Amino acid sequence: MINSQSRHPLSRNRQSLGTKSLDDYDPGIVTGFKYVGGRYPASDAVRKAGGDLAFGSDMRFSGMVHAALLLSPHAHARILRIDAARARAVPEVLGVYSHFDAPATPYCRYRITPGQAGCVDDEPLFASTARFAGDRVAAVVATTRAAARAAVRAIDVEYEPLPAVLSAEAALAPSAPRIHPSGNLLHEYCVEFADPGADPADGVTIESTVSTQMLHHAALEPHLCFAEYDSAGKLTIWSPCQSVYGARTVVADLLGLPYHRVRVIKIPMGGSFGGKQEFILEPVTAYLAMRTRRPVSLILERDECIRATTVRPAQRSWLRSRVGRDGRLLSVEVDTLLAAGAYAGSSPDYAEAMAHKLTRLYRMPSYRHRGRVAYTTTPVAGGMRGWGAPDIATCAEVHLDQVAARLGIDPVALRLRNLVEPGDVDPVGGRGVGDARVRECLRRGAARFDWARRAACAPGHGRWRRGVGVACGAHKNGMLSDSFPDSTTMTLKMNEDGTLDLNAALHEVGAGSAVTLTTIIAEELDVAPERISTREADSESSPFDFGCFGSRMTYVGGAGARKLAAALKERLIANAASLLGLPIDLLSADCGRVSAPPSDGRSLEFAAIVRHARMRDGRDMIVTQTYSGKSNPGSYSVQFAEVEVDTWTGLARVTDFLSVVDIGRAINRLMVEGQCRGAVQAGVGSALCEEVILDEAGRTPGGGFKNYHLINAVDMPPVDVLLVEHDGDDGPFGAKSVGEIAFVPTAAAIVNAVNRALGTVLADLPLTPERILAALDGMAAVATVRTTCA
Amino acid sequence: MRLTATVNGASIAVEVAANARLVDVLRDALGLTGTKVGCAAGECGACTVLIDGRAVNACLVAAAQVEGRVVLTVEGLARGGELDRLQRKFVEMGAIQCGFCTPGLLMSATALLARVPHPSRAEIATAIAGNLCRCTGYAAIIEAIEAAADEAVAR
Repeated sequence: MINSQSRHPLSRNRQSLGTKSLDDYDPGIVTGFKYVGGRYPASDAVRKAGGDLAFGSDMRFSGMVHAALLLSPHAHARILRIDAARARAVPEVLGVYSHFDAPATPYCRYRITPGQAGCVDDEPLFASTARFAGDRVAAVVATTRAAARAAVRAIDVEYEPLPAVLSAEAALAPSAPRIHPSGNLLHEYCVEFADPGADPADGVTIESTVSTQMLHHAALEPHLCFAEYDSAGKLTIWSPCQSVYGARTVVADLLGLPYHRVRVIKIPMGGSFGGKQEFILEPVTAYLAMRTRRPVSLILERDECIRATTVRPAQRSWLRSRVGRDGRLLSVEVDTLLAAGAYAGSSPDYAEAMAHKLTRLYRMPSYRHRGRVAYTTTPVAGGMRGWGAPDIATCAEVHLDQVAARLGIDPVALRLRNLVEPGDVDPVGGRGVGDARVRECLRRGAARFDWARRAACAPGHGRWRRGVGVACGAHKNGMLSDSFPDSTTMTLKMNEDGTLDLNAALHEVGAGSAVTLTTIIAEELDVAPERISTREADSESSPFDFGCFGSRMTYVGGAGARKLAAALKERLIANAASLLGLPIDLLSADCGRVSAPPSDGRSLEFAAIVRHARMRDGRDMIVTQTYSGKSNPGSYSVQFAEVEVDTWTGLARVTDFLSVVDIGRAINRLMVEGQCRGAVQAGVGSALCEEVILDEAGRTPGGGFKNYHLINAVDMPPVDVLLVEHDGDDGPFGAKSVGEIAFVPTAAAIVNAVNRALGTVLADLPLTPERILAALDGMAAVATVRTTCA
Repeated sequence: MRLTATVNGASIAVEVAANARLVDVLRDALGLTGTKVGCAAGECGACTVLIDGRAVNACLVAAAQVEGRVVLTVEGLARGGELDRLQRKFVEMGAIQCGFCTPGLLMSATALLARVPHPSRAEIATAIAGNLCRCTGYAAIIEAIEAAADEAVAR
């Protein structure tokens, strides 16, 4: 069941593209599990393969009408007048809406619960002042999508352009124009601690400045939403979202509806990566449904997704470390400046999250992280896979390579000198890092990647230069913190034939959370996973769960599912005890039945217990539990990259990659590997070629993917995956998260490899050919000067 | 404009707008929503279908261009309700995560294997170079296509 990869056909053709051998599984992995650790497709994979799983854009509602948005072409402008006469004259048009007729109450697209800290209500349904090129100015609803879009083009808007503010630095300049009445400094924080016994006076000081760029999440499925407001005042929303309860909170509060009259249904999602975490289209679609009293469909085009949904924020961090000659970190200071874009969204929390990663990863006697978040008249920033961890990991790991170079210490050795050990306490978050196996990830990864030999290879002086890089990253397992008790409620019931239904607010984003939960329940109950059904979140019938984000699905949701299955098992055993007339502690449950000791020889199938309990005793095999997260340990990954750079064109290619993850226990090996390999596609792109670029007027270029470069199959390096499994902490069967941590150090490993190959200190992502050539030209100029001065 | 063609083995005749794209005909006129729209500009490959055995981006094909031609979409791969070998390998080998790119990839792979029954890794990667995937990193997809080819050739 576990792995028959030892003679996998992958290994035969190392020269070509594809994965390397998954040959050397750790012989130390002894699982004894029947289901956990197997290889299972996603629960809906068959329907996806057949093309018959309906995504949002495939759904057809009776009487459906179509919405299209008029987005501001200006980065900053007052909206003086909107003349929709020509638009309304289009026969299929039902209505045109703008701030002149919509409620002005601002909301926060990031809010999950009422009263949630860190939520700034600053975004209106429609702008009266456009704050970025892409801001919602108006919406048209028509009986066809084509008519709606044509009508949008027929709306005349009179703008009074205002000065654009395109960077956080510009926003915080004294003379900067105000984007919101509250001023451009949206949020500021300072996190620090110092070990009283530490004396950072010794050592060497190294400073770096590293920046990461605005990214488009680039889920293949464009953003969309449906809403219907019926004649009884019930609002229903269908959305590929990451939290139905969060969508309900934002929309119900905005439109003044009671929660029990707002139903949000999670529909299949063609990828998110955080781009569908915030509630971007639900409020406006719901509003249009209420106004028109027709089911409204709003589906964005790719350009609209790039500019008018959410982006990963651009940020720049200055780092200063004091490091002992032996490489030990004595003190680390960071100053981060992050651009939130036009509305606050999740940016305050996102920026603070950046300050809670490094002390989970490295021991340091002193840490100080100051952060400032500024409004800018640019696309609204939002959470993206890793949620600040990739951003700070890129900064820290690029910085650490500069530290290593300065001290003449090997990058792997430097990190080994500082990485946390299991049981360490993160002094910033105040929680234990748990069973942190990052050192083992680094040691075993370095051996498997043959780091020592490859790092010692000279890059050469020819046209093509090769180099290797390493990076470590830390993230988390769930949302549990002093201000957030992470919990989930689930119901599990057994049917008369022994099959089961799990009712939980599941939000499948493509990573296979449904099959993870069924595998866990299967293991606990010893029932085949295919005998357990799941359904996606529906705020009307699912018990409460915060949603799919924060790397909580396996660690909290999975632990909850395990405990739930154990509770159902207890109930089955108790009922069997009553039916058999035996004490509970004599009975055991496995293979779908409850059995008496061999001396007795009797047993009852689960199905029989359900039927007897219901018809004889009026009892039901159904359990509902709320599970509260017990801990929030670190999740860790160490990644190695080899790159080859063409110094004539500046084009860098990743030629080899190893991803090592401290995963605790892989519940579903197939999907875990899939997360690790998929993360590298995004990591290569974020390191080398992806960026949402704005022109001097703050506009995106349009042209969809033509002007936003994603790595394709030809450009992908082979990716080797090594999972370190030690079953620690409170996750189900020892499992920790993978989806986000797999993406945390990826770009950093690649940047470090490029710098090693070229002898450069590139620190502004992406490392485009232009930037690489400029750096090489700069070095050549210095070399020329040196030669002439010799 | 009246359009007649063969789609998934069946003769069809539909009335479509003169400026309709093939993807609109498939998804709206024929209700074959397996073919997806990811970018509407021929960049992502989510709308890949076969016309006379060749993989094309249906968002860039005018409906009129398929007059009298043979079109194959993802719905035409299964036989008698059973997934074909390629589809089964995609399912079993983790080539499907969110599934949005899957139909387009299946069609590119189908076109490849019909021309090149035993492709190399590089040939597979080139054949799917126009299909973007944000979830899998392509490796499981390439493995699945290779496995389907291996199994087909072994028969």
